[in-house]
Amino acid sequence: MKVLVAIKRVVDYNVKVRVKADESGVDLANVKMSMNPFCEIAVEEAVRLKEKGVASEIVVVSIGPTAAQEQLRTALALGADRAVLVESSEELNSLAVAKLLKAVVDKEQPQLVILGKQAIDSDNNQTGQMLGALTGYAQGTFASKVEVAGDKVNVTREIDGGLQTVALNLPAIVTTDLRLNEPRYASLPNIMKAKKKPLEVLTPDALGVTTTSTVKTLKVEAPAGRSAGIKVKSVAELVEKLKNEAKVI
Amino acid sequence: MDFTLSEEQQMLQDTVVRLVRDSYSFEQREQFYRSEPGFSWAFWQQLGELGLCSVPIAEAHGGFGGSGVDNLLIMTELGRNLCLEPFLQSQIHGAGLLQQLGNAQQCEALLPRVASGELQLAVALEESQSHYLLHDVQTRAVVVDGGWKLSGHKVVVVGGHSAGLILLSARTAGEPLDEQGISLFLLDPASVGVSRRAYPNIDGPHACDVVLDEVFIAADSLLGEPGRALPALRYQRGRAIAAQCAEAVGGMQEAFRLTLDYLKTRQQFGAPIGKFQVLQHRMADMRGELELASSMAILAACVADEVDSEERSRRLAAAKFVVVRAARFIAEQAIQLHGGIGMTWEYNLAHHAKRLVMLSHQLGDDDHHLQAYAELLKSA
Repeated sequence: MKVLVAIKRVVDYNVKVRVKADESGVDLANVKMSMNPFCEIAVEEAVRLKEKGVASEIVVVSIGPTAAQEQLRTALALGADRAVLVESSEELNSLAVAKLLKAVVDKEQPQLVILGKQAIDSDNNQTGQMLGALTGYAQGTFASKVEVAGDKVNVTREIDGGLQTVALNLPAIVTTDLRLNEPRYASLPNIMKAKKKPLEVLTPDALGVTTTSTVKTLKVEAPAGRSAGIKVKSVAELVEKLKNEAKVI
Repeated sequence: MDFTLSEEQQMLQDTVVRLVRDSYSFEQREQFYRSEPGFSWAFWQQLGELGLCSVPIAEAHGGFGGSGVDNLLIMTELGRNLCLEPFLQSQIHGAGLLQQLGNAQQCEALLPRVASGELQLAVALEESQSHYLLHDVQTRAVVVDGGWKLSGHKVVVVGGHSAGLILLSARTAGEPLDEQGISLFLLDPASVGVSRRAYPNIDGPHACDVVLDEVFIAADSLLGEPGRALPALRYQRGRAIAAQCAEAVGGMQEAFRLTLDYLKTRQQFGAPIGKFQVLQHRMADMRGELELASSMAILAACVADEVDSEERSRRLAAAKFVVVRAARFIAEQAIQLHGGIGMTWEYNLAHHAKRLVMLSHQLGDDDHHLQAYAELLKSA
C-alpha cells in the first residue's frame, strides 16, 4: 500500500514569533524553520505502518519555497522513501494547497493520505478536509489511533468529551492529532541515507493547478501582553474575586 | 567565508537540539546529577542509538568520521543544556587517543564498541603537581614478566568513575618533566590494585582520583610505542579543547538568553530593568564577547583535525584563551545582572555560571594557554 504524507515548513515551535511592524504578517527573517509538529506525527505514523508491513512505500510531499526541501529531507531521514516538492514562493491558502495535493494524489494514486490536522503557523485546520472533499475520499480527522484492516482503515478520532471510531473505505484521508504517536529522532545513519533518496521538484503550472487566492490577510496582531498578577489575603477573597471580577466560577 | 551548514549538518543539529530539549530539562538534569553515576545512562544510550556517539570516530572503526564542525554542533547543544555525560572525555578525547596510538587490533576490538556507546572511556593525564603540563608525569610503569606494573596517582579524571576503560599516561623512562619516556596505557579500572575515589565537581560532571598500587596490566595494554606518547597527548588535547570551546559557547548563549529574558521581565522603578542604559551597555559587552568566542570556537573546530603544526597549536591556544575569558566575563556579568537569584541552586543560570568559570581550569587555564601562545609566537 502506498502512503502519501503531506508536510509543511513552519516556524519552529520553540521560537517566539514577532509580528512585523506594518502588521502584514510574522517576521520570518533569520527565524528557525522546522517541520510542522502535526506533520511529524503524520510521518511517524506512516513509518510505523511501513514497519508493520502494512505500507509498502511512503511518499512525502510539501508545497512551499525551495527551502522546504530541508523538511522533506528530514522526513526522508525519518523513514520516508521519496519526496515531492511542489515549489511555490507565494503564500498559499488552504484551498490552493488542497488543490495542489489533489493533483499529487491523482498522480501518485496512494491508498492512504496522512496529514497533520493543522499547521502551527496559520492554525486553519482545513487542508485535510478540503482534500477529502476534492478527492471524494473518506476522511478520518483528529486521529489518535489508526489501524488498517483489509480494504478499510479504522480511525479513532478525538472528539469533544470522548473518542469516536470510524471505519473508512480505502483510499482514505487521515489527519493526525497530538496523541497519535511520539515522533522519533532522525538518527545519523538515516540522515546519511536520506541524502541518496529521490526528491522530485514540481510546479503548480506543471500540475495544471491555479493557486490564485480568494482570501487576503488584512492584519496580523500580537496578543496583548499579560498584566501582572495580584496577591490576595485569603481563600475567601480569592473565591470572591474569581466569582465577581474574573467571573469564572 | 561561508558559515552555512550542509543539509546533513543541519539535520544532525536538529536531532541533537530536539533530543536535548526533550530529555534534558533543568529538573531532569538535577535528577541525573543526584543519581549514582552523576549522569543519565539512558541518555547516553540514546546518544549511541542515534549514532551521535559515533560522530568523532573514523568510518574505518565503525564511526561516522565527522569533522570538527560536526563535533562542534553536538558539543554546543550539550553545553547549552549543561549535559553531564562525559561525551568530550570519552568520544572525542579518549577515542581520539585510541585512534591515534592504538594498533589495528586494539582499534578493531574497542572503537566500534565506543562508537556505539557501549564502552565509555576516560582520560587520566593530570596529576596533583602537573598543572596542565602533559609531560609532568610521576606515575611510573615498569616492565615485568608479561606486561607492566603501574604505580602512581591521577587526579580529576572526569568520567573515570563510570568508564569501562581509562587511558592513563605513565612514565616508562626518564626523569619527571622529561618529554621523552611517557607512555599511554589502557587501564581496566577493575584491575587489582586500582582504587578510585569519586566525587562531583563543583560545575556538575562527576570525576574521580585514581590511585595505582603496583597494578599489573598485560603487555597489550600499551598504546603506541613505549615512551613516545607525548605528541599524541598534545594533539588530542587540542581536539578536546576545540570541543570544550564549543561546549562553552552553548553555555554562554544560554546564559546570555536567560539574562536578556530576566532584564525584560524584572521590574524596578516602574520599568523593566532592561530599559536602563547602564545594563544595556553590559549586555552589549556580553554579546561582543560571545561573538568573539563563537568565532574562535569555529576556528578551533576547523583546525582541530588538521595535521599537527605550530600554527594549529597557536590557534587552539588562542581559542581557549579567548573563550574562557568570554566565559568568565559572561558568567560574572550574568550573575551581577540577575542579582541574588543568579546564585540560587534552583535556577539554571547559577549552574551555567559555575560551569563557565570552571571550564577555564580544565585542559589548561588561560595563563597556561596565553604562555603557550606567546612561546609559539616567539618560535614562529
